[in-house]
Amino acid sequence: MDILQTIKETDKSFSQEIQKVQDIKSLEELRVKYLSRKGIVSTLFDDLKNVSREDKPLVGKSLNELRNSVQLRFDELKEKLESVSGKDHTLVDLSLPGRKTELGSKHILTQTLDEIKTIFKGLGFSIFEGPELESDYYNFEALNFPPDHPARDMQDTFFVNKSYLLRTHTSPVQVRLMTSQEPPVRAIMPGKVYRNEAISARSYCLFHQVEGLYVDTDVTFAELKGTLVSFARQFYGSDLKYRFRPSFFPFTEPSAEMDITCFLCHGKGCRMCKGSGWLEILGCGMVDPNVFKEVGYDPEKYTGYAFGMGIERIAILKYDIPDIRMYFENDLRFLKQF
Amino acid sequence: MKISLNWLKEYVDLEGIATAEIIDKLTISGLEVEDVEEKGSGFDNIVVAYVKERKKHPNADKLSVCTVSTGDEEFNVVCGAPNVEAGQNVAFAKIGAIIPNGGFKITKAKLRGEVSMGMICSERELGISDNHQGIMVLDSSLEPGTPLKEALGLDDVVLEVAITPNRPDALSHIGVARDLAAIFNRKMTIPEVKLTECSERIEKYASVEVQDTTNCPRYTARLIKNVTIKESPSWLKKKLTSVGLRPINNIVDVTNFILYELGQPLHSFDLDRLEGQKVVVRRASDGETFTTLDSKERRLTSKDLMICDSEKPVAIAGVMGGENSEVTAETKNILLESAYFNPSSIRKTAKSLILSTDASYRFERGTDPNVTPYAADRAMQLMAELGGGEILTGTIDVYPEKIEPRTVTLRFNQIKRILGFDVDRKDVKDILLNLGLKVVSAEGQEEMTFEVPTFRPDLEREIDLIEEIARINGYDKIPAVSKISITLGGKTDQSSFRDRLRDIANGLGFYEIISNSLQSREIAQLTGKPVEMLNPLSSDMAALRTSLLPGALYAVSKNLNVGEKNLKLFEIGHIFNKLSDGEIKDFSDFSEIPGMMLLVSGKAETVKWYSKERPFDIYDLKGLVNSFLEKICLDNVLDDSYNLVENKNFEYNFTKTYKNQVVGRGGLVSKEMLRKFDISQDVYCFEFDLNLLADIPVPQKRFNGLLKFPKVLRDCAFILDTKVTGQEVVGLIYKSSSGLLKNVELFDIFESKNLGPDKRSMAFSLEYYDENRTLKDEEVDKDFNRAVEAVIKQLNAEFRGTS
Ligand SMILES: [Zn+2]
Repeated sequence: MDILQTIKETDKSFSQEIQKVQDIKSLEELRVKYLSRKGIVSTLFDDLKNVSREDKPLVGKSLNELRNSVQLRFDELKEKLESVSGKDHTLVDLSLPGRKTELGSKHILTQTLDEIKTIFKGLGFSIFEGPELESDYYNFEALNFPPDHPARDMQDTFFVNKSYLLRTHTSPVQVRLMTSQEPPVRAIMPGKVYRNEAISARSYCLFHQVEGLYVDTDVTFAELKGTLVSFARQFYGSDLKYRFRPSFFPFTEPSAEMDITCFLCHGKGCRMCKGSGWLEILGCGMVDPNVFKEVGYDPEKYTGYAFGMGIERIAILKYDIPDIRMYFENDLRFLKQF
Repeated sequence: MKISLNWLKEYVDLEGIATAEIIDKLTISGLEVEDVEEKGSGFDNIVVAYVKERKKHPNADKLSVCTVSTGDEEFNVVCGAPNVEAGQNVAFAKIGAIIPNGGFKITKAKLRGEVSMGMICSERELGISDNHQGIMVLDSSLEPGTPLKEALGLDDVVLEVAITPNRPDALSHIGVARDLAAIFNRKMTIPEVKLTECSERIEKYASVEVQDTTNCPRYTARLIKNVTIKESPSWLKKKLTSVGLRPINNIVDVTNFILYELGQPLHSFDLDRLEGQKVVVRRASDGETFTTLDSKERRLTSKDLMICDSEKPVAIAGVMGGENSEVTAETKNILLESAYFNPSSIRKTAKSLILSTDASYRFERGTDPNVTPYAADRAMQLMAELGGGEILTGTIDVYPEKIEPRTVTLRFNQIKRILGFDVDRKDVKDILLNLGLKVVSAEGQEEMTFEVPTFRPDLEREIDLIEEIARINGYDKIPAVSKISITLGGKTDQSSFRDRLRDIANGLGFYEIISNSLQSREIAQLTGKPVEMLNPLSSDMAALRTSLLPGALYAVSKNLNVGEKNLKLFEIGHIFNKLSDGEIKDFSDFSEIPGMMLLVSGKAETVKWYSKERPFDIYDLKGLVNSFLEKICLDNVLDDSYNLVENKNFEYNFTKTYKNQVVGRGGLVSKEMLRKFDISQDVYCFEFDLNLLADIPVPQKRFNGLLKFPKVLRDCAFILDTKVTGQEVVGLIYKSSSGLLKNVELFDIFESKNLGPDKRSMAFSLEYYDENRTLKDEEVDKDFNRAVEAVIKQLNAEFRGTS
């Protein structure tokens, strides 16, 4: 039977030709040649009517097999070629920049505060806030700054009048918090504070602080040290060395300042640490019994610690920012670096 | 305050303790050493040498060749100075020395054929003075070979010590020495005073009357006659210059010396210039004027305490003396004042006069009321030593109510309760006794009572003693305990809402700014009723911001200046407004509200290979505001309104309201406003009141099931009068449709000549579905036709077609 022979040969020639196909275009040509209405396979089906009756089932079956096999191989290759090239891969230039969506950023001070908040939240602290426009009572008096005491000179103040001012530290939030609830109290209190100091590369009329407070029945200086060392190690690195040195704040007694080894010179002394090898990072101490009396806590029953740190200073040290004013100029060339 | 280590060693035995350790221990026990100045540094290899011989240089007229001896060695040295002579003692820099002024190193040299093994130095080369006339000729009594820094008394270390306001006692060398005695458990020596008094008594020549004993609890005076005013000896000048004081004359220098030795400010009056030879301590009268030593006229009030003679004021008590009674070269007889003034009175006066002196600084922190006679005696002794004269017998001491030392009881168990660490009982006692406290009760098992010397006004309570113990014992000895404890009760984070807003703003492409909350009154008044400062740094910062807009505009202006023109900025911060007209007397007289500002300006799209340039416009702002609200689930809760109230800060504005309360407002910033900030491009911004926003109840989210049935979309377009807003059309479509209509979107809008004047075309896409069934075409048609009909009829629209 000639037709069976032809079917075999068609299958063979299709196999040879499809092997040479490299792209969609020549595949399409192959499709037209074999699978279109006037293609080789259809023409063979047309010839079926000339086949004798008894041969028809056999020839028909072979033809169907041929058609299916050609179609199958065609489909497979088509899918393969399309997936490799997308459409026409000669038009794709992968080196072109992508269509980018510009995301903004948080201010570096916010980012630094976020880091601090995350660490203290992990240590069990809540976060509270208070007003920036404060009364003398909360900012000074309740914090054991007597009127006309030189301790007030430590913080140059912007006054609205005799009794209202811009808070000079976040410590008044401590008082607000303690007067609003009974111990235990464990919170950090971030926010803006203001100082009436000449503006320069090292000082600005406002900056940000984070205050911390923990009051309970058996809080000790040793625990204060433990908490702050844990914070500093998480924030600055686990190999850090530190020291606590006595200081003075009217609302804590004993008071201390915490230094860590300078991370630029590792304690040898450099411009950043002014040759001392140490960087002061925060002030702290045990809550003064006078403050407890002011907020109605019994100092014989409760003890507590408090601490405070300046965020600008922390970020200046961490990112080597030369001028504190840069934080507030809002120059995109600065903002986009963080 | 400057502290000389050599001076310090006169009061405390620091033998065998390295300077570095002294500095370190001072710092870690609370007297922070901020700076260390090594006086003789840089004088290595520079010694005293004797010029044995001077010859002319064979090859140079202006040079000479000298042989100098350092005792055990001789050197050949070429010198160019005209004043070098045999027999002089000179400062000789040996090979290897580094010349302090200029920093060059001395090496073996050949000058015009002659070998030079060092250099004879001038004062300028040594950095001692500017004198370069010739070499420095030293005292002939000096031993050749002596290191120069020793010969010149420059072997001192001067510390800059930061003294906290609670430690007035440490504002002197004896005070610092006392801390060191406690730190190192060493002995202290207070100078002993022996006076030779003359036969006459002080009362014959002077009297003191204190009218205000509240502000002057003690006034001690002594008198010395016939002193000679002259230059101080070098030991005294050296001490004063070492701590940065300028020597003046023997009398003034003695009072300054005592100030730095003991911390007690003294004042010398020329007795012959005191009218009536009398001292009266009284309050000034209001408006009284007085010329202080610095030749400035001061205006006083009745709160200020004055030292007067029988006629006139002669000093502002505890602050500064007057020209009219100061010691001059002609002064013979001196009345010395050694007083104790009320710290708060001195502080008020110094503050109101804006005049801080060494004396006022110490008085306002609290001097020792019981040291005044000792200080006066010590000064008398030194004045007599240095200026001759006769000390009159007796002291006038007006001290009506003796200030007794306090007693404080220490319960030993409190040390551990506060510190979390126990200090050995013996160490506790040693520390407190070394600091000058005395035991007044027998040591009990549980507690002990101490008498606190009056030079420590800061030690009032048990907790103050615990601090002293902790500080001297060393904070480093207290362990860093990390115990795990939890605080029961809900954990609060009051900042979490704003933190979320920041994240959303970032996601929308905004950069966070933080601007100064202080601005000029004129600027702050543009956006509200500002709270003003009593003592502003400058008129640019005289008021608190009443809106976040000006700060953001400053940021725009700043960025335009540096070439950053495409801006998406946001700020979260407090704004302040006065709520009443009068003075602020209560928190209810002003508002302090957290706000949020979103700002866009410049280009929304810049030219890229895939996009064309496009400026930001009001629809960017609206879209961003809505995306922002969508993220906090309030987009469907708030209502929009347009130009609700005219606002001169905006060309046009829109507001977001909740129950008729404005939660946020924004729009195109007015040209007039922008001009004030030198901004020449359009700025769109929107400001939220975050208190109101945070308080709006967010609809509770619940899972709604996934839509199982198909949505049917229908589009339609109309030609409308331009005055008809998109919102009106959308509103009407909803109103005239059934609940099957779930969403309407305005997707196309244009104007063209073909449409005619004041006409525009708007196209809408309407979305219908039902959660429970497939809609039939007919029912959607019915709904859709009703909506189209309504728009045509009620808004006078021409129907352009459907799809
Ligand atoms: Zn360093």
